[in-house]
Amino acid sequence: MTMLTTPAQPGQHTPRPVPWSKLAWVSWRQYRVALLSAASLLGVLALYLLIMGLRIRTGYASVASCPQLGSRLPHTCEAALMLFGGYHVWGETTAALLMALPMLIGAFAGAPILGRELEAGTFRFSWTQGAGRTRWALARLALPAVTVTAVAAVLSQLFGWFYYPFFATGDSALAPQLFEQTGIAFAAWTLAAFAIGTLAGVLIRKVVPAIAAAMAAWAGLLLITSLYLRRLYQAPLNLHNGGHGASGASPWVISQWWTGPNGKTITTENKIISLLNRPERGYTQWTTYEPGTRYWHFQFIEGAWLLALSVLLIAAAIWLIRRRAA
Amino acid sequence: MTVLTTPAQPDQGKNLRPVPWRRMAWVTWRQHRFAIGGVTAFLGVLALYLLIEGLPIRSAYAAVTACHPASSAVCQSLANNFNTGSYTFQAGIVSALLQVTAALIGAFAGAPVLARELESGTFRYAWTQGFGPRRWAAAKLALLAVAVAAVAAAFSVMFSWYYEPFFASGAQTPLGSTLFDLRGIAFAAWTLAAFTIGAVAGVLIRRVVPAMAATIVAWAGLAYVTGTYLRPHYEAPLVTANPNMPGSAWVIGQWWARGGRPASLSALNQVLRPVGLRAATAGRFQVFGSHLGNFNPVQYLVRHGFTQMTSYQPASRFWTFQFIEAGWLLALSLLLVAATVWLVRRRAA
Repeated sequence: MTMLTTPAQPGQHTPRPVPWSKLAWVSWRQYRVALLSAASLLGVLALYLLIMGLRIRTGYASVASCPQLGSRLPHTCEAALMLFGGYHVWGETTAALLMALPMLIGAFAGAPILGRELEAGTFRFSWTQGAGRTRWALARLALPAVTVTAVAAVLSQLFGWFYYPFFATGDSALAPQLFEQTGIAFAAWTLAAFAIGTLAGVLIRKVVPAIAAAMAAWAGLLLITSLYLRRLYQAPLNLHNGGHGASGASPWVISQWWTGPNGKTITTENKIISLLNRPERGYTQWTTYEPGTRYWHFQFIEGAWLLALSVLLIAAAIWLIRRRAA
Repeated sequence: MTVLTTPAQPDQGKNLRPVPWRRMAWVTWRQHRFAIGGVTAFLGVLALYLLIEGLPIRSAYAAVTACHPASSAVCQSLANNFNTGSYTFQAGIVSALLQVTAALIGAFAGAPVLARELESGTFRYAWTQGFGPRRWAAAKLALLAVAVAAVAAAFSVMFSWYYEPFFASGAQTPLGSTLFDLRGIAFAAWTLAAFTIGAVAGVLIRRVVPAMAATIVAWAGLAYVTGTYLRPHYEAPLVTANPNMPGSAWVIGQWWARGGRPASLSALNQVLRPVGLRAATAGRFQVFGSHLGNFNPVQYLVRHGFTQMTSYQPASRFWTFQFIEAGWLLALSLLLVAATVWLVRRRAA
């Protein structure tokens, strides 16, 4: 131990820092069991999406091949549509269950990385090695962060392929429960869960409470985003009396309400029902919606702020680590 | 340390009074109060959410039941709006998301009980005390299991209250896969099973986080297999030729028959060919909605001598199924606890 207490000679040696490739190897050695078991589980999920997706798309192909007008065989199309309609429940259930996946992946992957070292005390050893604690933390975080994000991206592409027939037949890709599962949002939400888990691990310093806190924080963030924030990305449009105007991608209908002849909003449910039955003069039905064409715009906004948030949270975790043992 | 190495006197140990069980209850409470409090708080928040969401649902349903005459167009459309509107959609999503609750409780409350002691090494101390490793494990698991199951049972009462209006209208089946396991005594049984899966995973894997992950995976697999393969066969399904099934029946399968024997796909398509229809399977051939205009393929097939057979479980079997499911889950839980205690004893020996 005396070596450590020898005062450093200023110009004597600048030891070559441990190369990143060595750190990557350590990361891989430490995580291979977790990574491989998670990968095999997600592989099973992917297989399920693939098998179901093929059935759904086969059903959709017979609907899509129907001549739209002037068909001599209209019943064929009706039957195809009926069979296809039965798949919709599966699609919706799969989408709902997939929602919990970023939370599980992110919290279980993110919280233990630094939280376990702090809980078990191994940080006293690992942070004082040649790699330096910033590089050590970065090397340990980078591989799992990139992996979970990439895996989530692949899964969400697969889900988008699986769900495509329902988007084509009227489901809005902007609607909550579908927006987060497609495009780049799913990967971004997974990365955010990972970053929240990492910071929770550093702050709480105990793995299990950190996982629980990360799950709760992530679920709260998702709820607030889909209920309140997302519609602020771009002001929703209002329409009165009738359809949504635009053709093509289905809009996300946020709310519908009625106004009376005096311009005031009607709130009584019975009144609205009777209006639906026999429209009276002077009453107007309003629809607030986000057009389906804004899908990619919204995806990039959500992906960008989630990425920024994740970088910020991981930077905060590393800053806390630097400060802690200094 | 010399005291420990003194050879034991044969008769001396007989007079040692074992540590009373109620002391163990106190230790368990002190060690796991955060877990018990966490589970209670988690389900409490969910119950509060169900209460807040449930009140407008009940008032909307009260408007449906108060509307009369019930056969009038306004009342019909009010009822239809309630059964197919946003409340039903929302409740469906809520029940789908609540499926993970039991798995989370099992992972967070069950897996760490023994895995933490094994991972951090404290078992070397805890298991060599006067209480003994077997009694130590059994006391902790029993107390926590009862506490967790009781909290889960209270929560499922809240969920039943929340969901009640949708069953009252008779349009939904209480046996459906995402509703059956949240109501009655099944939710407490599933939570208990998740907890004991967590305990056995903890003693097998000996590390907290992998044991938690394994608990969630094992529970999900068990729940999926049960909902898809086991539950439909707790009792032999009834078979009927009546095409108008009540909405509360749980349909297991449908097929076409002619002359008392199941009809093949080619036989169906032979009859359907003149009208340009083609069935994709010989089984499910359901009409979704009434958007077929004047032509109804079901009635067409009936006119040509086919009968649509449906196998189903009636809603009246709800409590029988509940007791069957809770019974085998309880037996499984006891088995898992016994296995855990046995593993602890083997390890400590």
